This record gives sequence, structure tokens and C-alpha cells, in this order.
Amino acid sequence: MSDINTDNVKSQMRKGVLEYCILSILNNNDAYASSLIEELKVAKMIVVEGTLYPLLTRQKNQGLLSYRWEESPQGPPRKYYSITERGKELLSEMDGAWRELVETIDLIRNKKTQ
Amino acid sequence: MKKVVTVGIGGRSFVIDEDAYQKLERYLARFRQKTGEGSEAVDIMEDLEQRIAELFYEELSTKGEVVNISMVNRVISQLGMPDGTAAEDSSDFGSESAQDGGNQTAHKRLYRDPDNRVIGGVCSGLGHYLNIDMVLIRVVFAVSLFLGGLGFWAYIIFWIVAPQAMTAAQKCEMRGLAVTAENLRKVSSYK
Repeated sequence: MSDINTDNVKSQMRKGVLEYCILSILNNNDAYASSLIEELKVAKMIVVEGTLYPLLTRQKNQGLLSYRWEESPQGPPRKYYSITERGKELLSEMDGAWRELVETIDLIRNKKTQ
Repeated sequence: MKKVVTVGIGGRSFVIDEDAYQKLERYLARFRQKTGEGSEAVDIMEDLEQRIAELFYEELSTKGEVVNISMVNRVISQLGMPDGTAAEDSSDFGSESAQDGGNQTAHKRLYRDPDNRVIGGVCSGLGHYLNIDMVLIRVVFAVSLFLGGLGFWAYIIFWIVAPQAMTAAQKCEMRGLAVTAENLRKVSSYK
């Protein structure tokens, strides 16, 4: 039972920062959905890919991302996602929030051990 | 030897085994159901189909020409559901569709239930409709026969007014279940 709970907590944590991760990856370079998935999988951020598509569409509709169609060597053109100015603004805010969060947690944990 | 179907997925055409096709179709329908309505859903499904096409394409380039059920299973377990849960197999839909059915009572309609009838199926139909044990309703009707003829006339009127649930789709409506492939199968196995 405790195993299931820890898994659940972990997946909730990942879910919370998944949007942050997507923006961060796209901030480094534009990406196809499939290479984005690859990167997130290597980082163990997602277990199943299905979670990603609703997020991408939502971020696109919020104006944080944009995409363009690009020719692919095999098959029809693919969606190529990139971050927008608005996305970058949000990302820098998220960066701040993330640092704050890490500091706060460090603080709490250190207090406990003292 | 197997029958195959040609389908277009994400702008490419694939030859796919019939059983694999049905499985994939069920998966897409469930994914769509979980995604919800609106213009977003169209985009999401498009992305998803593109990804499926990509995965099939990669695998087909190494072996064979026909998409089979094991490839579909692999793709489905890799993609999962939009809420991050794994896509269950159609065999363990039971609990899930019962939940879905509970949420969709809006589509519930009053039918007479031909599978559980004593006289005209009115009591069992009312039981489904009101979510009450049909035995209780039968008892109420039976008792009312001795308290003036009101119950008798009510029964006759229900019999005339409520249509009999003939098709599996109507039986789904009678139970307030969404008319989906799994539910249809489940309902027709009640006989």
C-alpha cells in the first residue's frame, strides 16, 4: 500500500512541474513532439505519452507555444514546436518560483535536522 | 490468414489487421472521451494520431507491411491516457464503464426490460430507471392491486407508454450507460 502512495506522490510532483519542463526544453531549442517526448522520457518526467498532448495544445492556446509544419525526411510534414515571447516571460517567472521552492524546502529540511 | 483493413492515420496510410484495427479504434475513442469536448480535442487527437503513425512507420520499416495487434498493444501502452493512467485492456473495462455509466444518467430513458420481465417488463424497466431493486417495485404493484385498482391501471399505462428495449443501444439507455462498444457488449451478454 505504501508503495502505491509513494508512486502517487511522485507522479503528482512530476505533473506539477511538467509544464515548466516543456517550456524549459523548448527554450533551449525548438523540437518535434517526438523529440520532446524522448527528452522527457529520459528525464523520467512522463510515463505515458498521452499526458503530453493535452498540455501542448493548452500551452499553444494560451499563446506560450507556437508550432510550424516542417518537412520530414520520411512521411508527411511534422509539427515543430517553439516557445513564444509570452512563454519565455512565463518561464522566467517559473524559474524564480522554482528557485524559491527549492530554497524553502531546503530551509525546512535543514531546520528539522538541527 | 487474416482480414486486413486500410486506414489513414496522421496523413499516412497503413494496412492493419482487423482485430488490431478494432483495438486501436476503441483506444482512440476512449482517449477522445477522456480528452473532453471543444476545439482543443481536435488538435490533441491530431497530435496523437501523428505520433501513432510515426511509431507504426518506424516499426514497419524493420519488419513486414501489416500492422498487427502486438504493435497496437505496444503503441497503446506507450501512449496511455491523457490523465497519465495506463490504457486498460478491453477485458477489464468492467469497473471503468460502470463509473462512466454513473456519470451519464442524463441519457437514461424509461424502457420495458424484456430480459427480466414477469408480465410486460414494466417493473424491471422502472427499477433500472429509478435505480431501485425491481423486486421492491413488483411488491408495491402487487400490494396496490388489493388497494383499489390504481396500481393495475398505472401498470397498463406504463406498458403502453414505455417502449420495449429491443436493441442493445436501447438497453444501454435503459440502464443509463453511454452507448459505447464495451457497454453494448456488456449489455447484450445480460440475456
